[in-house]
Amino acid sequence: MRVAMLHCGGATAIGFLGRAGDACLLGTLILAEPEHFSGTEITLLLLAMLASAGLFLQRLWPILQTIHHAQPEQDFHLRPLGRRTAAFVWEVLLQGKVIRQRPLPGLAHAFVFWGFLAFALVSLNHVATGLRLGFLPPQSWAGRFYFDFAAVWALLVAVSIVGLFVRRFFVRPIWLGEHLSYESGVIAGLIFLLMVSYLGAFAVAPGGSAVKLLWWSHTAALLVFLPLIPHTKHLHLVLSPLTVFLKRDSFAQIPRLHGDEDFGLVAGKDVTQLIALQTYSCVECGRCTEHCPAATTGKVLNPKEVVLGLRSYLNTVGPASEVPLLAEARPDTAYAPTLSMEAVFGCTTCGSCEFQCPVGIQHVPVIVGLRRGAVNTGTWEDDYGTKLFLALEKHGNALGLSAAERDKFVTKQGFPIFDGTQEYCLWLGCMGGYDPKGREIIADFARVMHFLGTSFGVLKKERCTGDPARRLGNDLLFGTLADSGLKSLEAAKVQKIVAICPHCVRTIAEDWREYGIAPQIEHHSEFMARHRDRLPQQQGQSIVYHDPCYLGRYREQYDAPRQVVQQAGALVEAPRHRERSFCCGAGGGLAFLGEEHGERVSHVRAQELVATGADVVGTACPFCNTMFRDALHETERQPQLLDIAQLTARALPSQPPGGEP
Amino acid sequence: MSNGPAGGVLVVLEQHDGELHRLSAEALAAGRMLAAKVGGRVECALLRAPGQAVALTGVPGRVHAVEHPLLAAYTSDGYTAALEQLIRTLTPSHVVLPHTYQVRDYAPALATRFRQVLLSDVTAIHDTETGPVFVRQLLQGKLNADYRATGAGPCFVSVQAGSFLAEDAATDAAEVVAFAPVLEAAQIRTRAGERFREAAHTVDLGSAAVIVSVGRGIGEEANIPLVQELADALGAELAASRPICDSGWVPMERQVGSSGQTVAPKLYLAVGISGAIQHLVGMKGSKCVIAINKDEHAPIFEVADFGVVGDLFEMVPELTKAVRAAR
Amino acid sequence: MKIVVAVKQVPERDAAIRVGADGRWIEEEDLSYTINEPDAYALEEALQLKEKHGGEVVVVGAGPERVTSTLREALAKGADRAIHVEAVDLGERDTLGVAQVLADAIAAEAPDLVLTGLQSDDLGLGQTGVVMAELLGLPHATIIMQVEVTASGLRVKQELEDGWFQHVEMPLPALLTMQSGGNKLRYATLMGIKKAKAKELKTETAAAAAASPSARLERVYLPQRQKHTEMLTGSPAEVAAKLVQILKNDVRVL
Repeated sequence: MRVAMLHCGGATAIGFLGRAGDACLLGTLILAEPEHFSGTEITLLLLAMLASAGLFLQRLWPILQTIHHAQPEQDFHLRPLGRRTAAFVWEVLLQGKVIRQRPLPGLAHAFVFWGFLAFALVSLNHVATGLRLGFLPPQSWAGRFYFDFAAVWALLVAVSIVGLFVRRFFVRPIWLGEHLSYESGVIAGLIFLLMVSYLGAFAVAPGGSAVKLLWWSHTAALLVFLPLIPHTKHLHLVLSPLTVFLKRDSFAQIPRLHGDEDFGLVAGKDVTQLIALQTYSCVECGRCTEHCPAATTGKVLNPKEVVLGLRSYLNTVGPASEVPLLAEARPDTAYAPTLSMEAVFGCTTCGSCEFQCPVGIQHVPVIVGLRRGAVNTGTWEDDYGTKLFLALEKHGNALGLSAAERDKFVTKQGFPIFDGTQEYCLWLGCMGGYDPKGREIIADFARVMHFLGTSFGVLKKERCTGDPARRLGNDLLFGTLADSGLKSLEAAKVQKIVAICPHCVRTIAEDWREYGIAPQIEHHSEFMARHRDRLPQQQGQSIVYHDPCYLGRYREQYDAPRQVVQQAGALVEAPRHRERSFCCGAGGGLAFLGEEHGERVSHVRAQELVATGADVVGTACPFCNTMFRDALHETERQPQLLDIAQLTARALPSQPPGGEP
Repeated sequence: MSNGPAGGVLVVLEQHDGELHRLSAEALAAGRMLAAKVGGRVECALLRAPGQAVALTGVPGRVHAVEHPLLAAYTSDGYTAALEQLIRTLTPSHVVLPHTYQVRDYAPALATRFRQVLLSDVTAIHDTETGPVFVRQLLQGKLNADYRATGAGPCFVSVQAGSFLAEDAATDAAEVVAFAPVLEAAQIRTRAGERFREAAHTVDLGSAAVIVSVGRGIGEEANIPLVQELADALGAELAASRPICDSGWVPMERQVGSSGQTVAPKLYLAVGISGAIQHLVGMKGSKCVIAINKDEHAPIFEVADFGVVGDLFEMVPELTKAVRAAR
Repeated sequence: MKIVVAVKQVPERDAAIRVGADGRWIEEEDLSYTINEPDAYALEEALQLKEKHGGEVVVVGAGPERVTSTLREALAKGADRAIHVEAVDLGERDTLGVAQVLADAIAAEAPDLVLTGLQSDDLGLGQTGVVMAELLGLPHATIIMQVEVTASGLRVKQELEDGWFQHVEMPLPALLTMQSGGNKLRYATLMGIKKAKAKELKTETAAAAAASPSARLERVYLPQRQKHTEMLTGSPAEVAAKLVQILKNDVRVL
């Protein structure tokens, strides 16, 4: 080894590997390059390059054409560039998301990525050398430095790719798919060959035939690798930086429909450029599926397969087609059975897939878009769904109860009707207005507001925000409800709204924008967190807090509810928490769609929460609460189930100060 | 052909296979009450095939037996034409009918023949100085309305089940007078098939008249037979809330609620059910809800017509016993 | 097959009811209106028949201008044309008068089949269909669950009392009054609404009432008995005895 260090050019690979760090820092290793290329060699190289580039474009070009011919993205703005740039830097350059969500493979991937970046210059010089155009002489100061620098990366890449290879072919996590991807193996082999042939050039004597052999094997690996990129999922190398940069504005954002012929994703002609770009960027890593509450409990839905199904549709049918996208609506189901109504209507819209996706695919608008296509055209026939829609059409609440029931509750509680003199409009929502448990939460939150001396009133008439209709893709119904909601808030001159339901908050704050500007709205967790200093500090009980999808991933409120919980006891974290929180199963209208197939999402989550050993399950969404109410019946232990408003209210004096009713 | 006096009240009795429909007696009671107000005799009409025996127990006075071979089976065309002829002959001031499915099928057409309308589903008749006022329910019972007949012809009234108490059986035998209408086969445009009931396929809670439903309060699977016995005594279907079906104590197809079946029985007896919203939406259409629960604040009491706060393990066996005794 | 569906616009089922100032009808100001539920089933049956056998579905509705919103909804659900018989005095006409107005409009269409709901959610008289049949000279059947087109006309499933049914056959043209629940209703769709914009909605003015009505609604008022929960107390045996009385007298299941 010592010898190897002294005679750098003749160092063995083993010797090099043993002291790579030291060697490079010292700059004692020099890359061996072939000194002469014959005319035949150059011709051969040029032909190979041409073939490689040709094969590369032969696949990439049609893909770009497909994306180009897809429906132009309307309402798309590059601004604000700051947010896009930030996402690009964090997700692409720093590989932040990949590393954070899957640390070990994430880091391995990051090394490969950074290694590739470092290698860009190396590869360019490598090919240029073969054309007698080399611009970075290995002996020069810059050459020595850069090639040694690249060598460190080459080593990291080689180790990482071996690790990833072992993971894929021996550990075989199910998220990567049931079938082994041999192309991934070939690619891994090529990358490994690229690195080894590069590193080997430090270990051979200059001028020898070994140098030429290494150079040509490196070149061959490079030129074989290039066309493989667009032919395989490694297309993400080219597309995903763009995809991440161009992502639609906000999380799980459902785009506006345009014109009289737009009903959502009905056929290929409705697929937009952004969606097409995203489907081609899919790297098939399976993070979306790994975190999907439907896929992991035995439902047909597999978000990765939805994206791949869409890609396969674009490849085989094309972007301008009238052929329906969903299997049930097609005369044959030859394309992708996973791209079906059954699949897309199994989605809770929890957004885990979209949050996890490392290449910027936005699954929720696609899945909701496919639902829109089916519902807006009346293709989707489901007894429960129809019942829900008719209940919303007729009664304005998802439960199909008479509006008089809400009036009774409001009267019984003595809630004042909002008349413009109060600070807040307390939005009851369907659960708060009609569900016995939701009513308890509202009543307790009202006590908290009384205690804090915050004035509030409720609307005389309140209809559903349209959340279940929105997520199920019923634009007509959603539009009607959003419109009537905006009108009643405006008529009552409401300035600030507070609600106990994250679905109401999200829908009013984001989805209603299509129809007008709603007053400012916040979730009761945010309200209580802001006033936590004035709320009693409780001791004793341990509380496991469950992040509702629509408060967490959708609204990025992780700390506010936790602050409220910490005020009420000792916070315990579930294994999956914050942005990795696992859905309760109610979202996306699924609370109203009848029995699930396979394991119940709520049961899986309830068991996880119970296993923490906490005394109390703390929720911040009435839908989560109602799902867990049933699910906790089945668990080994039945901890208390309380909303954060109830956790807070239980420590309040029974009579509010000031003697208000 | 026998002519009754002009004016008076004609009550149309309904019979099926020689048996009087149970509402016939109530229509008769209403007719007598009306006659007491407007004056005139009460006579009855009955449609049948010649020679068909109809048990007329409890029917006093004169019964006009409208007889024709084409009246052997009910048809709207046949009944309308035959009764039109009888009414034109008798010229009563009022015609009272039971508000049955059959009456709903032909009586509006019959009234139209006289350019009159039927005051249907009447729940009460009040006397005023200017004549009788007929009470009907509007908007699914949310509103009552007083109607007055203002036409020149006979006034047609059908009475709601349970609104007029049937009197005790009269001792006098009915005086049956035959009336032969002129009917031709070509007049009758519809043909009815045999009556049938739906085969009891799987469990169809949706069409059950009485449902006994059990919830979490039952505690454990071993206690289910307690409730099953009550259901059997009542001739009811057994149903359950979701947690009970989840546990497999009662089959999944008997689940009532948002993820199960939606039911609308005459009686929904909720045992140990607290009344989560998912459950309430499945049974809110029930005509009468009786709830037994140990928690007086259970939401089920908000939708119940009758509530019992108590231990179901004491209450249910006692009720089963009482129901059996009453049968 | 040309099918006419007569629909009525009624107050929403869960509307809060207040008696109007004159005591003869309810306060209409805050009321929202919708299609009468059995009529929605009649429309659904018509649409399904059209999907099966082809033809045309025409909806007819009488009343003031607001009725057009219900007719538009029917167009959105799939009806081909709509006729609005404009009349502001329907409250003054009796069933016969209303049926006459509708029958006039229907007769002009000369349909093969007329469908309507068995009764209305507001007045609940349950006669308009049968009276129209009489005025149009059509055979009819009431409280129908299913409709089947046969070589000689129709074969329908009629609901009878106590869970019994029977099939009834009749020639066409005919009129049927439909029961709720025989079909599954469809929800309104965005596509339907967009298509409905292009469909014809014709307004005709109702002929003046021919004769004075033969019945008059004099007064409306809220019923005395509001629903409340009656709590039964006593020993289990006493409560059981009370319950049995209730089951016998109030619920009548014993």
